[in-house]
Amino acid sequence: MRFTDKFRKKLNVMLQFFVLSAFSINESAAARRPIVNGTWIRMGMIIDEMMQSDQGPPSCKALPGLSPGQTKLCQLYIDHMNAVALGAKQSLNECTHQFQNRRWNCSILDDVNVFGPVITIASRETAFAHALAAAGVSHSISRACRDGQLASCGCSRTDRPKDLKKAWVWGGCGDNLQYGYKFTQNFIDVREKERKFKRGSRDQGRALMNLHNNEAGRRAVIRKTKVTCKCHGVSGSCSLITCWQQLANFREIGDYLRDKYDGATEVRVNKRGRLQLKDPHITIPTADDMVYLEDSPDYCVRNDVTGSLGTQGRPCNRTSADIDGCNILCCGRGYNTLKTVIKERCQCKFKWCCEVQCKTCVKSLDTHTCK
Amino acid sequence: MQQSFVYFSILLCIFEIFKFKMPGTILENLSGRKLSVLVTVLLLSQLACFLVGLISPSPAGIQTILATVCVDPEPEVRDKWFSRNCPKKVDLRYDNALEGISPNNLVFVVEMPNFQQDFSRWQQNLAGVLQIELVYRSGQKLLNPMIELTLDARLAYSNKVKNGGKTPWTHYTNAITERYMDCIFNDTAIENKEGYPYDCSMVPLFELGSLYHDYYLLNLRLPYDSQKELNTHLLKVEEIFLHMIHMNGGFTKVWISLKSIFFPIIVTIMIWFWNRVHLLSRTPALLEYMLIVLGGTLAFLDLPIEYLTLHFDMPYMLLLSDIRQGIFYATLLSFWLVFTGEHMLIQETGERNSLRKYWKHLSSIAVGCVSLLIFDLCERGMHLVNPFSSIWVTPLGTNLALTFVICAGLCAGIYFLFLCYMIWRVFKNISIKRSVLPSMTQARRLHYEGTMYRFTFLMGATVVCAGITIVSFILNQYTQGEHNLDDSMDIELTSIIHTGVYGMWNVYICALLMLYAPSHKQWPSEPTCSEGEEVEFSRLSSEPSTTPNEISSLTSFVAKANIE
Repeated sequence: MRFTDKFRKKLNVMLQFFVLSAFSINESAAARRPIVNGTWIRMGMIIDEMMQSDQGPPSCKALPGLSPGQTKLCQLYIDHMNAVALGAKQSLNECTHQFQNRRWNCSILDDVNVFGPVITIASRETAFAHALAAAGVSHSISRACRDGQLASCGCSRTDRPKDLKKAWVWGGCGDNLQYGYKFTQNFIDVREKERKFKRGSRDQGRALMNLHNNEAGRRAVIRKTKVTCKCHGVSGSCSLITCWQQLANFREIGDYLRDKYDGATEVRVNKRGRLQLKDPHITIPTADDMVYLEDSPDYCVRNDVTGSLGTQGRPCNRTSADIDGCNILCCGRGYNTLKTVIKERCQCKFKWCCEVQCKTCVKSLDTHTCK
Repeated sequence: MQQSFVYFSILLCIFEIFKFKMPGTILENLSGRKLSVLVTVLLLSQLACFLVGLISPSPAGIQTILATVCVDPEPEVRDKWFSRNCPKKVDLRYDNALEGISPNNLVFVVEMPNFQQDFSRWQQNLAGVLQIELVYRSGQKLLNPMIELTLDARLAYSNKVKNGGKTPWTHYTNAITERYMDCIFNDTAIENKEGYPYDCSMVPLFELGSLYHDYYLLNLRLPYDSQKELNTHLLKVEEIFLHMIHMNGGFTKVWISLKSIFFPIIVTIMIWFWNRVHLLSRTPALLEYMLIVLGGTLAFLDLPIEYLTLHFDMPYMLLLSDIRQGIFYATLLSFWLVFTGEHMLIQETGERNSLRKYWKHLSSIAVGCVSLLIFDLCERGMHLVNPFSSIWVTPLGTNLALTFVICAGLCAGIYFLFLCYMIWRVFKNISIKRSVLPSMTQARRLHYEGTMYRFTFLMGATVVCAGITIVSFILNQYTQGEHNLDDSMDIELTSIIHTGVYGMWNVYICALLMLYAPSHKQWPSEPTCSEGEEVEFSRLSSEPSTTPNEISSLTSFVAKANIE
C-alpha cells in the first residue's frame, strides 16, 4: 500500500512536469487567440432548454462557447454532450454552494463567460472554476457511462481488432472512471492546446495554468472515490476478491476542491515557457493542487472592468469570525440589521420516497446585510 | 503446443523412472542427476503455469450500472417488465419531479449488461451488489446507523435472436427479501448538511450460479408500508447502482485449458502409479492408498466439466466447484497427517497401519469440512432455489453461519496444531537417528543421509507450496483495489497468482505420485548403480525385522533402529 503511494507521488510529479512542459514546444510566432465566444461552461446554463427540446441530440453549432477543437470532438461524440452540459451545470451549482459565504460568491451571470469578466483574470477563483468544471464533466461522463447512455464507454472503446473476441470477453475493458477522465482530458484541454503562444507570454502562462487546474479537477474525482471489495471465492471466502471504485457524491468532490482552492499556489511563467514557483520556499504543487498566476481582484467593491460585483447588500453572519462573518465579508464597511419575521418549513418528516410533511414555523430573525 | 511439451517431458520422466529398479520408493532410489532432471521439468511446468497467467485477464470483472427509475402507474398488476426505455422515468435527485408519486410506484430497472453488450456463457456466474445512495436533506433527523431494507426483486432473462433482435423478457425468479445496510454520516460538523451523502455499506443482492442467457433484467422495488414497517427508515434515496461481478471469459478459457492439460496427465500418472503398486507382491500400504485417493480427488478437481456449462444450464456449478475444492483440500490435509504419521519412525512392527489409527487427527478435518459443507449448502445451495436469499440476513441465520464458520476455523486450528506437533516429532526423531549415523559404515551412512535429505526436501517443498499459497493470496488482497491513472500496468497479478497456485498444487501432487511410487524389486539390480549402495540396500531389505507393508527404507531403517 505504502509502496504504491510512493509510486503515485512519483507519478504525480512526473505528470505535473509533463503538464507544465507540454506547451513549451509551441513556441512559434505569437498567434492571437482565435475569438472563441465565451466558455463551454455555458452549456450548463442552457441544459434545461436542451432537455426540453426533445429533438434528439443538439447540434454542435447550437452549443455555446465551443472552440474549433471542441466542436470537432462534439461532432465525434455527440451523445456525450448532454453529459458534458450536465457536468457543467452541476459544477456551477456546486460553485455557488461552496462560495455562498465568500466575498466572491461565484455569481453566475447571463454572459458568455458565465462568471463575467472575473474569469479572464488568472486568479485563484478562476483556478477553482476551471478545476470544478473539469471535475463536473469527468464525474458526469463517468456517471453517464454507468447509466448506459454512452455507446463508447467500457469495452467498445478499445481500439483492438474485433477478432480479439470482445476484449477477451470483457476482461480487457477499462473502467468508467478512467473513461470519464480521458474524455474530459481530450475535451477540455483541447482548448488550450489548439492555440500557439509566444513562449513565456502571459497567454501561454494562462494556458498552462488552465491545463494544470483542469488536471487537478479531474484527479479530484478519482481521489474521492471509495474502493469497495467483495469476496467471492470458495464458500464466499476471500481467495477470490473483486474491488471496484465507487463514484463519490459531487458535494464531496466540491469540498475537496475548495480545500485545494484554499491551498492554491501562486506561480509565474518563466522565459522557457514553464510554470515556476513565485516563492521558491514553498513546496512544489502536485498535479492534485491548483495554481494561479495573478492576485485576485478586489471583490469588496463593484468594478465593471474586473467584473467584481462587490459585497454590498450581501447577507452576512454577525457572530461568525470566519470568512462569512460580517467583519470580513463587508470589508470593514459595517452592516445593516433588519428585523424580519420569516416563515419556514420545520420539523420535517420525510417518508420514502417522495413525501415530506413539514410544519410551518414562524421565526423572527435579525438579518444583516453589508453596507 | 505447451500442452504437448509438458506432456512429453513428463512421459519422458516416467520412462526414466521406470528404468529404475530398487526396492523402496523412487524418491530414495533416484540418482541425483535424474532427480534434478525431474525437478527441472516440474519447475518448468510450474513456470509455464505462471506464464499462462500473464496472457489471461483478471479472474473476475465488474460492471456498474445505474438503475433507471421508472414509474409504474399500476403497482398491483405485477405481470409486466420494465426495461431501460420505460414510458415514464423520474430522476430522484430533483424533488419537483416526484410530486404525486408513491414509493410503490417506483421501479428501479437494471438491464444487464450495459453498453449493448451481451453475456457470454464463458463468464460462468454473476453476483449483484446494490449501492444505495442516501443524502441528507435539511430538516431531517440523522438516520439510525442500521437501516432495515425490504427489497422486492424480480429477475427476467432474454436471449439474442439470430436476426439481431431479442426475445421478450421471461420471468426467471422473484423474491421479497430483507437486507441490512449500515449508514454513517461523516460530515456532522458541517452546519449546512443539505445534499451531503451518507456513507452506506453495500447490499449484496443476488448470486447466479450460471450465466446461461444473454441478457438479464432486474426490476427492484422498495415498497413502503408504515403498518408492516417496511422501509420506514429509508429517507432520501438519490440513486441506486448495481455492481455486477462476473467471471472474465478470457480467464475461464485459460483456466479450463489448464484443467484440460492437467487432467490427462494426472490420470496417466495415477494409472502408472497403481500399476507399480500392483506389480509388488505385497498389498498396498496406507500411504499408497492415500496417494491414489489424493490423485483421484485432484483428477476430479481437474475434470473440466465447465465445458458442459457452454451447452447446459447448470446453476449448481458454483456449489459443485466448492465441493470439488473442498474434497481436494480435505484429502490433501489428511494426506499430510498420514504422511507425517507414517514417517513418525516409531512403529509397532508387524501391525498393519490403517486410517483407523488416525481417527483422532482426521476427525478434526472431517468436522471442519462438514461444517463448511453445511454452511456452503445453506448459502450457495439456497441460491439454487432463490438467488436472492442470503443466510446472513436473519439473526438466526447469521448465528448459524457464524457457528459453522467458527467451527471450521477451530478445526483448522486444531488440525494445524496436530500437524505441527507431528512434524516436530518426526524431525526430532530424525535428528536422534542422525546422531547414530557416524557409527555406521560409510556406504550405509551416505545412503541414509541422502534419503533423509530427500525426505526433508519434500517436507520443505510442502511448506514452500503452502507458504507461497498463503502469501500470494494475502498479497492479492493488497494489490486489489489499487487504481492508477495510467495504463502502463497491464500485467494482471491476480490471474498469475491463481493459475500459478493452481499449477503448483498439480505439480506438487504429480511429484508426490511419481516420487512415492514403489520401485521394482523383481528386476535384478544392474551394475549401473554404485556398488556400496546396492549391497547395503539389498542387505537391509532382506532383514527379518522389515515388515511387508513398509514402503520406504527410511521407515524400515528407523523401525529397525527402534527395535534395537
